[in-house]
Amino acid sequence: MKKIIKILIFLSFLLGFSGLAYLQERSEEGLVIPNEEIGAPEIVYNKPVKGVLFSHKYHVGELGLSCESCHPKLFEMQALKAQENPDFNMNALYQGKYCGACHDGKMAFASNTKCATCHIGVKGLKRLEKEMKTGKK
Amino acid sequence: MIKRWFKEFKNLGNEEIEKIPDEERREFLKIGLIITGVFAGGSLLSVVSKVAEGLATPEELKNNYPYKPHYSMVFKIDLCIDCERCVEACNLTNQVPDYGWRTMILERYSSKAVDQKRIFLPILCNHCNHPPCVIACPTKATIKDSQTGIVKMVSYKCIGCKTCMTACPYNARYFNEERHAVDKCDFCWEKRLSKGITPTACVEACPAGVRIFGDLSDPLSEVYRLVHQLGKPVWVLKPETGAKPNVFYTIS
Repeated sequence: MKKIIKILIFLSFLLGFSGLAYLQERSEEGLVIPNEEIGAPEIVYNKPVKGVLFSHKYHVGELGLSCESCHPKLFEMQALKAQENPDFNMNALYQGKYCGACHDGKMAFASNTKCATCHIGVKGLKRLEKEMKTGKK
Repeated sequence: MIKRWFKEFKNLGNEEIEKIPDEERREFLKIGLIITGVFAGGSLLSVVSKVAEGLATPEELKNNYPYKPHYSMVFKIDLCIDCERCVEACNLTNQVPDYGWRTMILERYSSKAVDQKRIFLPILCNHCNHPPCVIACPTKATIKDSQTGIVKMVSYKCIGCKTCMTACPYNARYFNEERHAVDKCDFCWEKRLSKGITPTACVEACPAGVRIFGDLSDPLSEVYRLVHQLGKPVWVLKPETGAKPNVFYTIS
């Protein structure tokens, strides 16, 4: 019995650590924070620059946009997939690709303004990571 | 008691300007003038205290810069996105340890702000014209280069008393355990400028064009153009210290 408990404790430690390691690995690529209320996650891109937030909570929850507004034409359904494309950068946005389809200065604020609204930076990224780990908002 | 006092206060007559005696008014104006004078002439564009009055002719201004080249950096802070590529590049170039820093990004965040909720503020050594750190150092381990105006460290002279760290208004210094000396930004003098490589590592790494580096005494340089225009606000951090920094902030 004692042995089983010991093994169980050991296993739980192992799982905990690997989970942490997994989280850290993921945050290099970006961050995907599930949101059950909306059914779509908060996404932080890390490429080409670190800490760029797309909030489903805002765009779907508050603005009431539908999935079809962006998926699958502007963005594939898989989170963080877009940052693998070599043209996922500000110039593409200015040409109306990706976020630039709406953020053109008419439908929504232009892509070359209000930088730090979407760019939450390394500081924002770290804050969200911490919130995710501790489960606090 | 308070009620009575409040009542009296309420019954006080209107103190219109006409009712103030002439003498008093004159004193008031005088004070006002003095205050305005200090503000405009002194610290707003502190670098070269002459900037404000010197805006007349660039030629005159040029002679007021004590260094050649007079290295300076201008930040367009609204473009900063805290991607921290500048920090990474700096750390790599200058072998800055994990616990230290030569440049960093500060953040101001307010959930109650209208529209954009955050703004980032990149900082580094301001390479002041009157550097408090240089004045404070007891062993002359930190010096103001007489040619370029760069505030440098002479590591072997540093005794690690950290007086300079306390003296610096910009928190631009840290103690490097490995070198057993205080370390700070030197505008990449050691690693780049002295070898003829420009600009600094942070400027080169910035993807958003936030940082502009150049010679403030050269009327053709971009830093000169940005600092001496009136269309957009230009400011320095903590002008009240009188350190006359050479790092300026503006918006795009």
